[in-house]
Formats: sequence, C-alpha cells, structure tokens
Amino acid sequence: MQALAELDLPYLPVETEEFAADPVRYFNAAKVQHPWIAESDIGFFIHEYTAIRELLLQDDKMRPAYDGIIEQMGARGTPWGRFTEEQLISLPAEKHRFLRDTFAAKFTPRFANQLRPMMRQTISELLDEWTPSGRMDFEEMASYFPISNMFTLVGAPREEIPAIRSSLETLGLAFSMDKNRLPEIHEAYERLEDLVQRLIANRRANPEAGNPDDLLALLINTGDEGNVDPRQLADLIIFFFIAGYDTSKNVLTYAMFKMLDRPDIYERCGADHEYCRKVVEESLRYFNPGSVPRFAAEDIVFRDVLLPKDTMLWFTLNISGHDPGTFEDPERFDPDRPIAPEKRQIAFSLGKHMCLGQYIARAQLQEALHLIPQRIRNPRLAGEYGWRPYPGAWGLKGLPIEFTPA
Amino acid sequence: MAKITYLEANGREHVVDVCAGLTVMEGARNHGVPGILADCGGNCACGTCRVYIDEPWLAKAGEASEVEAATIEAQEDAGPGKRLSCQIKVADELDGLVVRMPETQC
Ligand code: HEM
Ligand code: FES
Repeated sequence: MQALAELDLPYLPVETEEFAADPVRYFNAAKVQHPWIAESDIGFFIHEYTAIRELLLQDDKMRPAYDGIIEQMGARGTPWGRFTEEQLISLPAEKHRFLRDTFAAKFTPRFANQLRPMMRQTISELLDEWTPSGRMDFEEMASYFPISNMFTLVGAPREEIPAIRSSLETLGLAFSMDKNRLPEIHEAYERLEDLVQRLIANRRANPEAGNPDDLLALLINTGDEGNVDPRQLADLIIFFFIAGYDTSKNVLTYAMFKMLDRPDIYERCGADHEYCRKVVEESLRYFNPGSVPRFAAEDIVFRDVLLPKDTMLWFTLNISGHDPGTFEDPERFDPDRPIAPEKRQIAFSLGKHMCLGQYIARAQLQEALHLIPQRIRNPRLAGEYGWRPYPGAWGLKGLPIEFTPA
Repeated sequence: MAKITYLEANGREHVVDVCAGLTVMEGARNHGVPGILADCGGNCACGTCRVYIDEPWLAKAGEASEVEAATIEAQEDAGPGKRLSCQIKVADELDGLVVRMPETQC
C-alpha cells in the first residue's frame, strides 16, 4: 500500500484564472504523472471518471466537506457558516436521510413534468423581454430562468428577483475560497434568509395564497406532517434557491456557447423537443459546474493508495466527461453519441447526495433548449467572455451574443 | 437467504444467494451482476436499478411507494412489473425470485 506522500503527485493551481479558463488541459497533463489523483492547495482532486464513480458511491466512508470550506474561509459561527454546515447536504447520515425521504416525493420526474408548462411560460416571457434588441448577455438572460421558476414555485414577489439574483451570484462564488468575498457573502446570505423567513411566515398566516404549482405549501405541509424543525424547513428552501441557481444557469449558458459553433444542433433543438433531451445529456457530459467536496471519514484504501481519515477530497464531476480513458473522442460534442450505462454523465453526482433537483433541472434545460432557438436565430459571439473561479460553481462568466430576433 | 435469478436482456442468467434484509439491487451489486447501475446507491432517486418482475412474484415483492412509482416514470422502457430493485427488500418468501433487467439503464 502506498502513502499519498510517496506518490509524487502532480500539483494543480486550481485557484488561478488560467486554470479556470481550461481545467481539462491541466487535468490531462496531470494524468500523465498520476492517472486518478492530483494535489492542490485546497485538497486532493480525484479526476478519473471511473475512480470518481467507484469512490463517490462509497458514501459510508466519506462525509460532505462543506464544513471544511467554512473552516478554510474562516466563517465559523456566522449565519452563512451555520447554514452551510447544517444544510441538507451537510447533515449527519440519519438526519439527511429523514429530510431527503420526507421531501423526495416533490422532486420526482412526475412532479418535474407537471412543472413544464410553467417553465415554458417563464422562458417565453424572458425571451419576449430580452430578444427585441438582437443583442444580449446570454448568461444574464439565462440566470433569470431558474430563479424566476423558483420564485413562481414558492410564490415569492417578483420585484425581489433582482436583489435575490444578486445574492445567489455572490453565494455561487462563495466556494471559490476567496476570503475577500466574505462581507458580501454574509450580506447576500442574510437577504436570502430574510426572504425565505418572510415567505414561510406569510404563507402560514395566509394558507390560501399561492398558485397551482405552489411548492412552498407542499414543503410546509410535508414538513409539518413529518415534524420537520422550522429552522430546517427554512434552510431547505434557502438551499433550493442556491442549489438550483448557478448550476442550471451555467449549464444552459455553456450549452449555448457550444452550439454557437454548431448551428446544425442548435436548429434541430428548436425543431425537435425530444432531441433536446439528448442535447441536455451531452451538454452535462461536456460541461457541468460541480466539484464535490468530501472528507475521508475513515482510512480509505483505493487502488492500493491510502487516503487517510480526514483527507479533503474533491471529485471533479465537471471535467469527468472529458476523460479520454472512458469517452471516445471526448472533445467532440455529439448528442447522438451512444451512451453505455456505466459511462453516463455524472453531473448530478452519485450516491445518497445525488442531486434532488435532477429531474427539475433536466426539464428546465430541455424546455429552454427547445424554445430559445425558435426566438434567437443565428446567434453569434459578440464580445469577450470569461470564466468563473474553479472549483466552483464553475462556468462561463458572460456570453455576449448578437442574433436575429424572431 | 433467498436464491435470486437476475436475467440480462441478452438472456444471460446470474443466480445468486442474497441475505434477507438486503435489497435486490444490493444483491446484484455485491455479486458483481452486470445490468444494474444504481447511481444513487439505493435512494430511489436515479432510476438506474430497474428490473421487471413477473407474476406471481410481483405481489410478493410488495407495492411500490409513491416516490418509487413517480420516479420510475422517467425511463422510457415501460411495461408491467417494472420496479426499482433498490426498493425491494429480500425476504425468505422471495426465494426463487426471477428479475429481468432492461436492455440499458440509461
Ligand atoms: C443542471 C443543474 C444542476 C446540477 C448540475 C446539479 C448538481 C448537483 C450535484 C453535483 C449535487 C451533489 C453535491 C454533493 O454531493 O456534494 C447536487 C445536490 C443537490 N441538488 Fe442539484 N444540481 C442542479 C440543479 C438543481 C436544482 C434545479 C435543484 C432544486 C430544485 C437542486 C437541488 C439539489 C439538492 C437539494 C441537492 C442535495 C441533495 C442531498 O444532499 O441529498 N439541484 N446537485
Ligand atoms: S439505486 Fe437509484 S433508484 Fe435504485
């Protein structure tokens, strides 16, 4: 058995701008030195597709490391720190299971499908508003899609969308490990907490309010039936806002970016709703925002390497689809690529924390990918774009386009 | 302990002994039976542990919960007896159970 120190591991400058602009190149170079693990200033990165698959499914040997991020950021004891350490994903196994089981029925594919008309209406309204000038920052437009859906789902006042969007932008950058951002992060968190507490209080005072897709009432009722603590209910709703925001926005933005060079795929999306499903899966393979942080909860021996208890491990879902050991010609964006089950994209993670919102996320993406090409014709890149910090939530920063409105 | 036969879509058979208390999915995973993926590790979330069960075993396997029934809809292969194998607990009365696996768990 080998110790990590004996391995002469490649070092990854993950926090640098150069890295965020092209992580695949760095990981491919790292693979030459060691096939599945690399080191960095913030922990070890497990980057081979099969290693991620095999290790992430061993839930009982690891625990989510969001508390580790709070520790490294020096945010213990703050409201944002408390939330991050107590959010659904960070809870001890039994509490996590209880909460997840309590709410699982509201996140099934059946439920997600019921939301499709609402999603279509949201994206249509956004396109009405954003397309007439023939130019836009696509990322900015895309950012209003998941948040507007979430506002509808919980019956939140629409005039608060811009302020909450700004909160979610800030919170999305929180895991970039930049301590200078802490004052903004705290302010952003408190604005979101305030909204969620008001929403719950108002709905309790006035249970008749709300619309047919109202998730808030469902969550409150399910929470009450399951004796969920009020703090946990509020945390969960805060978490839905955060978990569904830049994940969805970044994937939609990247899919658009990719299709700027593939008008054939783009146009087919506009014509063929079913085909969009394939484009969603291929987009998630090609790009996704997540790096999953975990601590080894015990000594783990994997492929004869000892990962000692309390080692911080990052699982790079975001570049896993580019692994040349698993995917043939990984840089080719091809929605018609045959998918072997054991090589499915893993953007939603694996194991007991697998994304609870995965069916909502897929439905949102499919509906958007179908309607956008019908209204944004012949899109072209019209300026500079940048990259959000790695490890996450990673993605494009800005995507200026010009196009013919339809 | 129950003897369970896992049938791949191509007809290959895997007969294994599974301890009571485990799930049908865990039985496959622990014995390296191919054809069941179980991406969410048995949490009724991913739908990649689908199997088909024939009468009369269907009744013995118990009813699908609301969450299971609503999750299984996501996958296109359809037909009677479709279940998520992570939601079926193995018990002695399932000795002899035969489950058929779909062509793909995608
Ligand atoms: C394309 C969009 C999305 C992607 C790529 C994505 C990805 C992920 C990933 C990788 C995790 C696991 C994190 C970990 O294990 O540490 C996760 C968990 C989660 N996601 Fe998503 N997500 C997306 C959209 C959404 C949406 C729209 C919602 C809510 C409506 C949501 C709710 C959740 C929740 C609640 C969890 C925690 C589950 C648990 O700990 O049991 N996600 N997501
Ligand atoms: S293992 Fe995921 S649903 Fe059964």
